[in-house]
Amino acid sequence: MTQLQRDKTFEPSGVQGKLKIVLHDVSGTLIRALGTIERRGYDYRDVHCTQRVDGDFDLLVHIEDTGGPSNLDTLCKQLERLYNVVSAEKVGRRRHAERA
Amino acid sequence: MTTATQFEKQATEKIADRPAKSGSQLLLESLVEQGVETIFGYPGGAIMPVYDVLPTIPQLRHILCRHEQGCGMAAIGYARATGRTGTAFATSGPGATNLITAIADAYLDSVPVVFVTGQVPSNLMGTDAFQEVDIFGMTLPVVKHSYIVRDPADIPGMVAEAYFIAAEGRPGPVLIDLPKDVANAMTTERHKWRPYPKVKPEMGQSDYISKAEALIREAQKPLFYIGGGIAQGDGVKELRDLVERTDIPVVSTLKGLGAMPSDHPQFLGMLGMHGLKAANYAVQECDLLIVAGARFDDRATGKLDTFAPHAKVIHMDIDIAEINKLRKVDVYLDGSLKKNLEALNPGRSECDDWRELCYSRRAMHEWDYEGAQAKASPGVYAPKLLHDLSRRADDSAIITCDVGQHQMWVAQHCYFDEPKDHITSGGLGTMGFGLPAGLGAKLGAPERTVITVSGDGSIMMNIQELATLFRYDIPLKIVLLDNSALGMVRQWQEVFFDKNYSETNMDDNPDFALVAKAFQIDAFTVTTADEVDVGIDRLLETDGPILMHVKIDPNENVWPLVPPGRSNADMMER
Repeated sequence: MTQLQRDKTFEPSGVQGKLKIVLHDVSGTLIRALGTIERRGYDYRDVHCTQRVDGDFDLLVHIEDTGGPSNLDTLCKQLERLYNVVSAEKVGRRRHAERA
Repeated sequence: MTTATQFEKQATEKIADRPAKSGSQLLLESLVEQGVETIFGYPGGAIMPVYDVLPTIPQLRHILCRHEQGCGMAAIGYARATGRTGTAFATSGPGATNLITAIADAYLDSVPVVFVTGQVPSNLMGTDAFQEVDIFGMTLPVVKHSYIVRDPADIPGMVAEAYFIAAEGRPGPVLIDLPKDVANAMTTERHKWRPYPKVKPEMGQSDYISKAEALIREAQKPLFYIGGGIAQGDGVKELRDLVERTDIPVVSTLKGLGAMPSDHPQFLGMLGMHGLKAANYAVQECDLLIVAGARFDDRATGKLDTFAPHAKVIHMDIDIAEINKLRKVDVYLDGSLKKNLEALNPGRSECDDWRELCYSRRAMHEWDYEGAQAKASPGVYAPKLLHDLSRRADDSAIITCDVGQHQMWVAQHCYFDEPKDHITSGGLGTMGFGLPAGLGAKLGAPERTVITVSGDGSIMMNIQELATLFRYDIPLKIVLLDNSALGMVRQWQEVFFDKNYSETNMDDNPDFALVAKAFQIDAFTVTTADEVDVGIDRLLETDGPILMHVKIDPNENVWPLVPPGRSNADMMER
């Protein structure tokens, strides 16, 4: 078994969450958003993307942290910093189920 | 997904009698419209249509560097010296990949630069064609935004948006990847682009400003912790006003140096891994940290959960994603740093004992240059050389540097009156940055003296740019501190790896003065302390480009040093 010497500050906390991200229909935006989530320290459990009637995309992701200063609020701000990402927000289980 | 939104292409403007223009023409004319005057670039197959048109646009000065990485870093130096957006060109494939380090450097240091890469023709994209790489995909993690141009009619709007995005809010690099067929295609059309719709708050909420003022008034041991965002947010004057009105001591990150003059009575110095003792002790003991334009970088904080352990935190940053990212704050002020600093008015802090403690510590730990030089004699003590050079150069001099021990000595021992005086690769820590950044800075600010301080490891990474100095007769002054080693890595091997000096010895370096002369650059070598004064005179008085090669002791280290992963209170010393 490999033993990694990791800073205990950034041990995986098992934080799970669901995000709803609205994207403009512009080349590269989807991969930019998904890449940001992974680079900021999260694994995917589920990804679901659908186009809305207004042409934008709804991206629903279920994620789990892999170690790092996990904070879903910060992740949402980092996603909203991307151009052509309209919004990013945490969604509760029930709300997510209703919308999905 | 489609290539542009319905918002962006609201209308297509067609004017029948307008002459058709190629994508290349539209690109270069759009750059002129954005106020671009200088482009750092290197031609190649896929970007040849652009270079074919370039000579017909006299408003654009093209600087041919000798490697694309040099182009990118020169554009960064230009941007940081001028406060304007830099521009760099490269061709597809290896030209584009050679730009990536510069793109990442601009991203981590929040520098506005637009990078334009040629790309193989659209019908060959995705076929593994000659000199084809997916530069759009490769750079996604290190750009603020990026485009692949699919239609020449998009170019004017796209270029305008690219320059807007690079400079707005927290600045950063933007990439435009231009396929060869799009560069060649002729069009009379122009797609109209809407202004980008995201609106950022102008300044923090008024009740948060009141809360911040209350925290400052209540604090017994308040401290400013400032970073590179001060300069980028044009908040230097407002910061200095607030610091002086509140009479609170200040510490700075590497990139914040110059936001307060180095000799300001309230300035304690740089904090962090190679920070000054007075600065690190102040951070550890303060009860309120007023963070302005800084991001709790690990080189500044050391072990994060031991950083400023007793402090409440006020955090001001234009990038809301930095708030609460690494340290929970008590009050935040997003939006314009300049406006937030101006709005804060808590009055003079009643913390006389704290001030006295901070300033007495600073005095106690002042450098003894003469004593250290006496110990190093007859050799050269590099910190004293840099200290003397900095004070003898004129006040408006810019110092660019590379990465390693000399970078930290510059930060510790040189005098900076303005943030633009100090151009260093802070976030990425890019060896090879100093020389091209220096030539870019000199071209951007020709009226200022520009000095590049480099090391023998770093300069070899972009030494080809000496040819650029000669080609354009750029009067850059280079100080090369040569310890025949990768000094900082060697120091860590000495301290943390039981003196196992693995692959850090460089005593087979070339004769750097001879190398410079081969590039037709004036050069000389200094080996003893008594040659330093004359050498500095010659360096500063020479009109053209010049290199001063200084041999220094390979065993000289940078102190203090906070071991990685440890608290800033655990400073090691000689």
